[in-house]
Amino acid sequence: MSAVQQLFSILLNGLQLGAIFALLGIGLTIILGTMNFLNLAHGALYLIGAYAGMLIMRVITLRTGLLMDLGIQNLGLGWGFVIALFLVPLVGFVVGVLMERLVAKPFYKRPHTDQLLVTFGLALIVEELVKQVIGGNTFQSQAPDTLLGLQVSGPISLPIVGGFPRWRLVIILIAFIVIALTWLFMEKTDWGLIVKAGTLDSEMVSLLGIRIDRSYALVFGLGAALAAFAGLIGTTFETVRPQIGTQRALVPAFLVLVVGGAGSVRGAIVGGIVLGTVLAGFQQSYAQWADIAMYALVALVLIFRPQGIFGSVEVEE
Amino acid sequence: MSTETEGEGGSVGATGLTDSDAVLMIASAVALFSLPWVLVDGFGIVAEMLDFSIGGYVGLPSLILIYGIVVIGYNLLLGYTGLLSFGHAAFFGTGAYVAGVVSQSVGSPIVMVLAGIAVATLIAWPIGWVSIRRTGVYFAVITLTFGQMLYFWALGPGSWLTNGDNGFSEVGTGPILGTFELDSAVFPNIGFLQSYTYEYVFIAILALLALWIANRILKSPYGLIFEALGQNQQRVSFVGLNVQRYKLMAFIISAVFAGAGGALFIMHENYVHPNTAYYWIQSGDFVIMTILGGAGSLVGPVFGAFIFEYVANVLSGLSLPVIGAIGSLWRIVLGAVFVVIVWTFPKGVYPGVRDFLVRRGARDALDRLSDRVRNRGGESE
Repeated sequence: MSAVQQLFSILLNGLQLGAIFALLGIGLTIILGTMNFLNLAHGALYLIGAYAGMLIMRVITLRTGLLMDLGIQNLGLGWGFVIALFLVPLVGFVVGVLMERLVAKPFYKRPHTDQLLVTFGLALIVEELVKQVIGGNTFQSQAPDTLLGLQVSGPISLPIVGGFPRWRLVIILIAFIVIALTWLFMEKTDWGLIVKAGTLDSEMVSLLGIRIDRSYALVFGLGAALAAFAGLIGTTFETVRPQIGTQRALVPAFLVLVVGGAGSVRGAIVGGIVLGTVLAGFQQSYAQWADIAMYALVALVLIFRPQGIFGSVEVEE
Repeated sequence: MSTETEGEGGSVGATGLTDSDAVLMIASAVALFSLPWVLVDGFGIVAEMLDFSIGGYVGLPSLILIYGIVVIGYNLLLGYTGLLSFGHAAFFGTGAYVAGVVSQSVGSPIVMVLAGIAVATLIAWPIGWVSIRRTGVYFAVITLTFGQMLYFWALGPGSWLTNGDNGFSEVGTGPILGTFELDSAVFPNIGFLQSYTYEYVFIAILALLALWIANRILKSPYGLIFEALGQNQQRVSFVGLNVQRYKLMAFIISAVFAGAGGALFIMHENYVHPNTAYYWIQSGDFVIMTILGGAGSLVGPVFGAFIFEYVANVLSGLSLPVIGAIGSLWRIVLGAVFVVIVWTFPKGVYPGVRDFLVRRGARDALDRLSDRVRNRGGESE
């Protein structure tokens, strides 16, 4: 493999990992920016998205858990990926709005530490509930064969890079369409303007006579929908088990947040891609050091640029 | 500190302090001495009467105290200095691995603990130095970052030392001071003291020492500064104190306790895996124990460790009439209890209850005082 070929392959893999990271990071960052609320249960939203996606897309065979004890062996709707693509963010949105009203709202005025603690407890509860009800075993990832009549499985031959899994390209495409839509929403609509203004100075926005609390639920729902969507994408190339929320989603989301800068959507996108590319680069040649390198990068950013790449505000106690 | 230089009030205060210290230490010693009997035999008797397996097993008291030692130190950081670290597994795990490696050449438990503490302190210094420059969520994330780096190191590149994903099991713990085997009972001939092993005695002495040290620190001017930092960092710096230095010391001291706990942990389990040593959820468990028992009180977190380990190891094996086996449901219960506690007691259970009692106590005292004043007024008339 030539150096150029290797570089492009790293970039593609980095984009794919980075897209997922960015989706998670955007959700976390707009919730933090607008409501000044730190959500350690963000990984749980990814988890809910992954399981919801799996159950909508296909039919799984249960091996353990409460439902199996009740005599249910096969669970799931089997409606396919396209339907899941619309339903899963909806599920995430509803869960997010409920979370905002029931859990986050009473904690807006409490210190960040309390918010971290209560959402950490919530994350553990959600993870255990999933484990108890659907089972603690691992489910294999499964990508669709065709999408809207087009073949999306198998390798595709790209210029420069050579053979590359077709599905990974599709993931990059879908993820970036969603990221672009979020971007347009934030930049071009009045809602987005309010949210953006709220991340800068929510007090000022409410002084202008805008009922910012109303957009709180919307922002939380939007962030949750993005996390759930990331979970759905995750099920198509990574195994699904109850721990993915805390292992695969929560920590990366926070890393993206601090690298990109709190409250910055642009920062979350760039931060996600940077971290994804570093991870992909090391995975290619020094796989054992990949995660360590990613964390080391985050530590360096925290030491030398605590406000993150694009951050304008540093979150304080 | 001599009484001569201090006024009368000062020396009275000082004696009052030592008295309460002595009471605290004696009470703790009694509690630690009775823990295995209560937990294993006492609960066992109740269990037989109720036909309900709620009794502890022989190793459980040791495990509770090991985590107890860790959270006594962790609480100095979270409960007093007000820094939420999600990376203390780094020091716990390092203590465990270092003690394990040391045990292969020197089996003495005392040497193992000292080595664990030494290396945990050594890595806590740079990690702490960097981390304390950030506050709030950034502090939490940066400590988590360092912990996770060690986790992935132990799983991958460090497996030559840690044995990676297979876990470290070649632990050669020897007898204490060359004579007392850890597993053997201290009183082999006394029936009801069977659950007292030398291991437990060793750990209990260290736990008592940990309590004593933490108490000394907190009662000293140094500890007062920790507490002041937790309340208002800015005002501490206005007084002219070097805030970063005190934060760093709080961080390192808490790492010393975590390192000792880690060394004892591998001694107790004879095995350690990156997941139990370094993974960030382990750090989260320390947080839960501390909050459960009450952050900001000296012995509170030890109760937290007790509740956590008891629920995790004993109640999880319980089978209830309606629900059936609790099994791994224990984490849901624990998580729910945790959420409720954070929700209702912003300052932690113990300080919340104490404030309530103090307020009542103060009110009683005021009532009594006003009664007396009123009576005296009556006399004079």
